[in-house]
Amino acid sequence: MSELLFADDETIAPPRRNGELVFESPWQSRVFGVAAALRERGLFTWDEFRVELIAAIADGEPEHEPYYASWQRALERLLAAKGACSASALDARERALEARPAGHDHR
Amino acid sequence: MSDHDHGDHDHDLAHPHDHDHDERGRRNALRVEALESLLVEKGLVEPAAIDAIIRYFEEQIGPMNGARVVARAWTDPAYKARLLRDATAAVAELGYGGAQAEHLVAVENGPKVHNVVVCTLCSCYPWPVLGLPPAWYKSFAYRSRVVREPRTVLREMGLDLPESVEIRVFDSSAEVRYMVLPERPAEAAGLDEAALAAWVTRDAMIGVGQPRAPERR
Amino acid sequence: MGGMHGFGAVVVERDEAVFHARWEARVRALVSLALGAKISNVDAFRHAIERLEPVEYLSAGYYGRWLGALELLVHEWRARGETPDPGGSGSLRPVAHAARFRAGQRVRTRNLQPTGHTRLPGYARGKRGTVAIAHPGFVLPDTNAAGRGEHPEWLYAVRFDAAELFGSGAEPNACVHVDLFASYLEPEPGDV
Repeated sequence: MSELLFADDETIAPPRRNGELVFESPWQSRVFGVAAALRERGLFTWDEFRVELIAAIADGEPEHEPYYASWQRALERLLAAKGACSASALDARERALEARPAGHDHR
Repeated sequence: MSDHDHGDHDHDLAHPHDHDHDERGRRNALRVEALESLLVEKGLVEPAAIDAIIRYFEEQIGPMNGARVVARAWTDPAYKARLLRDATAAVAELGYGGAQAEHLVAVENGPKVHNVVVCTLCSCYPWPVLGLPPAWYKSFAYRSRVVREPRTVLREMGLDLPESVEIRVFDSSAEVRYMVLPERPAEAAGLDEAALAAWVTRDAMIGVGQPRAPERR
Repeated sequence: MGGMHGFGAVVVERDEAVFHARWEARVRALVSLALGAKISNVDAFRHAIERLEPVEYLSAGYYGRWLGALELLVHEWRARGETPDPGGSGSLRPVAHAARFRAGQRVRTRNLQPTGHTRLPGYARGKRGTVAIAHPGFVLPDTNAAGRGEHPEWLYAVRFDAAELFGSGAEPNACVHVDLFASYLEPEPGDV
């Protein structure tokens, strides 16, 4: 059965996963949870988030990156547009976390 | 995801990347950690709220909800009529509703009509009745191909429909969410609502499969 | 409260931040959640503060009044028999003008190629179809995304034959329904 589902060079078979994992890795669950929590707090509506998600998916590489990478980009753009969190602040925090001593759990 | 699998077939495909351990995965994780830590410091989110949301979507919401809706429609003609007329209200009768089903529409399969749902622009999906979408539903391949060659895509996914059956694709381009009301299988005659729910797969409610007997354990 | 006498000097607590911060943060979070779940709205919340019993109002402190108002609103909301709206603020909206299109009507999509956001997919531009479902009205993302306002419009599920969308390569006996806003559509005259 699996042979029938794999692509040849001319077509793209829909990628699928074994199992029923909702999130492929912890960071994906966190980015989803953060977006949903912000939406619950009223910072934006799902429709507003969707505008950014559609753009992020169009800008991204859907065949070569996990789906939730688009969520992460969409959320960053929306937060910047809302004045809630700037890209430069995020860059700085990312650098600070990167500089942590080895052995830290990056999740 | 949740307790049991409603008989969806596995959709085997080796995934080309190992996200947890490669460099991109590490960078994504770092960026998301930066995002969460900044937002927590600003008082915009609380980690406990995030934890609860993740737990909810991993454990408490899923296609078992929609399966109950379908089983009720199969056994109660008045409920089925309400579901087709106003699905938002009908699923609320069973306690389901909220985000991503503000306006829900149920589309009914028949002997000569088969419905299938997609979101070509992103990944919209009726969370309250189906949970979060599977990875293939969000894939570029499914989103781009099922509108153009639905019969072929369905056949690849194991559902072979003759040309005499009309295929209706619903692209959730706006904020309406769709779920498919599949036909009750003839083999499932005489079962009560609870037993019928076990026949209703996620794939059947998206439209890429049909209801089938629950797997024996 | 303006004009009342006899309350003495304003007292500043030295350890206020430490002592109150966590509790007050929780009250803020609760109010925010309640407003998000449409238990109330900002105006009703302010009015509820005004409606507190005078003793409670005077002795509870700033966030104590928030908590009191919240309790009052939740009590009234439950007494009305309402249920929570975990969806919070959605995008359904009433539309003031009458719907231009109806189920069964033939339409054609505009060949929109906007620089901003739109929900008209590329494959459905400049195509002829039939209104299958007349949906309710929703916020128009095209204007809302650009900060130009909600401008709600009626939404329609328009059915397109596969051949109309994809030409000779289309599969037989297939169609696609796309949810489209009124401003994406024009009436398509006559029968072909």
